[in-house]
Amino acid sequence: MTALTKAAPPLARRPRHPYRAALATGRGRTGLALVGLVVLAGLLAPLLSGHGPTDQSALTLAGPGTPGHPLGTDDLGRDLLSRLLHGIRADLGIIAVAVPLGALLGCLSALAAAAHPIADTVVQRAFDLILAFPGLILALAITAILGPGRLPVIAVITLAEIPVFGRLLRTGILVQRGREYVTAARVGGISGGRILTRHILPNAADPLVVQIAVSLTVAVFIEGAMSFLGVGVRPPEPTLGAVLSQAMPYLAQAPHFAVGPLVTVTALVLGLSLVAEALNREIRR
Amino acid sequence: MRGYLLRRLPSALLVLLVASFAVFAVLRLVPGDPAAVLAGPDASAETEAAIRARLGLDEPLPAQYLRWLGDLLTGDLGPSYAIGGQTADLIGDGLGATVELTLGALLFVVVLGGAFGILGATSRNRWVSTAVRVLTTGALSVPPFVTGVLLVLLFSVLLGVLPPGGRVPLLTAPDLGVQYLLLPALCLALPSAAVLGRYLKDGIERALGEDYVRTATAAGIAPRRLLWRHALPNALPPVVTLLGMQTGNLLGGAVLVEAIFAWPGLGQLAEQALVRRDYPVVQDLLLLLVTVFVLVQLLTDLVHAWLDPRIRWE
Repeated sequence: MTALTKAAPPLARRPRHPYRAALATGRGRTGLALVGLVVLAGLLAPLLSGHGPTDQSALTLAGPGTPGHPLGTDDLGRDLLSRLLHGIRADLGIIAVAVPLGALLGCLSALAAAAHPIADTVVQRAFDLILAFPGLILALAITAILGPGRLPVIAVITLAEIPVFGRLLRTGILVQRGREYVTAARVGGISGGRILTRHILPNAADPLVVQIAVSLTVAVFIEGAMSFLGVGVRPPEPTLGAVLSQAMPYLAQAPHFAVGPLVTVTALVLGLSLVAEALNREIRR
Repeated sequence: MRGYLLRRLPSALLVLLVASFAVFAVLRLVPGDPAAVLAGPDASAETEAAIRARLGLDEPLPAQYLRWLGDLLTGDLGPSYAIGGQTADLIGDGLGATVELTLGALLFVVVLGGAFGILGATSRNRWVSTAVRVLTTGALSVPPFVTGVLLVLLFSVLLGVLPPGGRVPLLTAPDLGVQYLLLPALCLALPSAAVLGRYLKDGIERALGEDYVRTATAAGIAPRRLLWRHALPNALPPVVTLLGMQTGNLLGGAVLVEAIFAWPGLGQLAEQALVRRDYPVVQDLLLLLVTVFVLVQLLTDLVHAWLDPRIRWE
């Protein structure tokens, strides 16, 4: 009789939110795990490393497994584990500010563009102008004004992301605006502002969420590239890109110098790409 | 077609004009007076003033801007402030190196992208298709400075077959030059090759699913001939457009790859000129890069319009 007493499965289970479903797929989980690991390492940096990231010692270019320096030391005798962990911290600090800021400014300009045709033309041409400069040339020009440091890196990433998010949201608004449900809402006497916030924006938001994951990888890329170009965060402060570019002259002599940032950047970027792809697949369904 | 060009050209020119203004204005915002930098820390005010007058920096800004535009149009770029030599020569040398790198990368993009696309679409071997997928995903998501370091570790440190950086001009010593060119060109090419490969794979798969392919198969045409004579030509046009857009990306990406492999191109020149506050070089260089970028975009739009008549009448 146990079969009868068992509760019948509910007829219609409330479907899971697509974002949660996306993150529960194999892709999403692997991606989240990779990103989570890197973020955790960055957050726990002061606890996990016994040395300061800029403390120098006489022990230069020591190999991995040296007592007190699990990943070895760099050309100035600084602990590579500490530099790696604090580098992750610095990178996360930069991208966690720059990408949301770029997204916000991009979305605001798209909203302004949606409000009036003249504003639309102005905003579009401004986007064209930013996009006319190849990304890294823009980075060089901005650093020329601001001088090297953390601020120009954030400024470059933000500026590069504004047209990306702006164009995406503008297209989304234009597509949704032509849909019948919007016409119906307008006929129903709902105000323009309410149609925008309650109907159009929620439907145009999905690509933006995917883009945030993609833009975070781009931000890691820009930080590293600027360090390689010598216009990034000022030494001796470590970032992932800075540690890697400092390892370049020693690749033959001490390849372990480069291993930490190589593995970390790859894990972070791959994890973010997997999350972005998982979200994209689930949303498109 | 001519109508489309006439409509598209003014906006490209406008972007260039605004860009020239932006470049000029940005460099006037840069902290640090080039005359003071050139004169050195111990120079007297008169020496600085003399240098300023010689460089025309004492004129009002609008006059400086117009003089600069006039010089550009007549091709007289003048001497560089700090690096030494004529600006035109510096830019010419850098341009040669960057063009060499970009063309080398373009070759890799076509060959690798073609291989990725064709193998990915047609290989029945699970290992091959998985390898192609992993390679393209990796090349797309991993930043060039990571692939660059990996390439140097593999080919220079571990195998010791290729130099880790530097350049020997291809035209003066082809055999040596190729060795120096291979790694940077490959590093620059990989992301674009992956994009191209994915597009080509999708295109070939779509073409192979068409009715005419089934008809041809039924008529007994060999699969190899089907691929090369029927599916591939039909998959190519969008890929050619994509190649144009990727050329712009290659030029932009070259700046980073040049820094990784110590390749003395325009990117390295820009970096050097910025650090040493060499206004004329930076100014001309930024505008040159933007011009090339805008031209490539214009060209891509034209090819697009040529391939797809709907765009022309929009």
